[in-house]
Amino acid sequence: MTHLDHLYRFASHLTKDQEQAQDLVQETFVRAIAAHEQFIPGTNLKAWLARILYNFFVDHYQKNKRWALLEDASNEGNDEWNRAAAENPGPESQLLGKELGTQISDGLAAIPEAFRTPLLLVDMGDFSYEEAAAIMSCPVGTIRSRLSRGRKLMARRLKAYVKGPEQK
Amino acid sequence: MTCGEAQEFITALVDHELPEPERALLETHLNECADCRTALTAERALKQAFRESGAQLRAPDALRARILSDPRIFPAQGRGARRWRDYLWPMPPVLRPALAVAILLAVALPAYFFMDYRIEPVAVAALESYDLFLEGKLPARRAANADEIAEQLTRAVGGRFHPMGYDFSAMDLRPVAGLVREIQGRKILVAIYQGPHGAILCYTFLGSEDDAPPNAAKFFDSEKKLNFYAFSRGTVNAVFHREGDVICILASEIPMEELLTLTRSKARAS
Repeated sequence: MTHLDHLYRFASHLTKDQEQAQDLVQETFVRAIAAHEQFIPGTNLKAWLARILYNFFVDHYQKNKRWALLEDASNEGNDEWNRAAAENPGPESQLLGKELGTQISDGLAAIPEAFRTPLLLVDMGDFSYEEAAAIMSCPVGTIRSRLSRGRKLMARRLKAYVKGPEQK
Repeated sequence: MTCGEAQEFITALVDHELPEPERALLETHLNECADCRTALTAERALKQAFRESGAQLRAPDALRARILSDPRIFPAQGRGARRWRDYLWPMPPVLRPALAVAILLAVALPAYFFMDYRIEPVAVAALESYDLFLEGKLPARRAANADEIAEQLTRAVGGRFHPMGYDFSAMDLRPVAGLVREIQGRKILVAIYQGPHGAILCYTFLGSEDDAPPNAAKFFDSEKKLNFYAFSRGTVNAVFHREGDVICILASEIPMEELLTLTRSKARAS
């Protein structure tokens, strides 16, 4: 698997659209070439490209949602997102009828971007918390808390596949 | 520590990101709390499921083609069969940004050969056996160990040369089988290394660097004083190098960057 595969996967789950994902990756390479002097040989190219991709995604694809994103981020202490996800978990029969991979994709598409991105970076991209924090321009502690909450949201959607403790 | 406080610690533990003072606190709590132990197991399973699911999604060939044909990334000047190769070597360092090399490795190698080879060189034709291997149709003779494989293969070519033998045990890959292929009248020895997470096929045959695919990307290792040639066929990446009059090709589905590093580390200096 190459960096291109990693970037495409990241873009695909961010945009939830294959055509937009391809545009996003292509523009990432255009930006990377234009800014190549900023890249320090020997440092993590994959993380550098992922950061360009994420910034481009936030700037262009999330433009209309940017205020919502910032507002959401300030509300991490309450369960608003948990409730939103729990209200629309999808019928159980539908869960069982689909492949786990499809379930994961659908689940990722349904949870807020602020939780989805750390999951994509750490779980699917093998980035460390520190690298993920640099890519998302946020503190390391935020990555940890969002991962924890993001996995809980995903676990609820995948409860037919992944057994956890009973929800209290 | 309460179960609520333990949740983020469990996440960090799953990710191997929990520092020692917090780790000890969590372990004490886990010893006392069955629910949190279950949560830990579930979160590990979830992370593994994400990882496996993610690995299945790969960039489409159309995207590689789009990037390779984008003049903003690869300017139109001198566009042709060898143009992108010239970015890699032998341009002087000041004209060869490390980034362009890395991006080409990331994007171009797997696709380029697929797009533009005309006559299939023996090195590329040999990789056909990798396809058969993936399909489970390779008539390989199983062997108990590396020595037995080497003995069988050496005998098959009348002792004229020996198969390259490498130790990939650090990657959890063991030698499991060997076979001999005849391509364009030349005997090619194939040793198969397999493990729970993948495989490497090692091809050995008598030849010269002229046998390297003409479109392969060429790298010179100044320490070992060896040339390495990287190329791909479908999903299979391959790195070719010469040791004396023997050619060795390592082929695998692991990323090209890793395969190239691995081959360079294993190759014997000239």
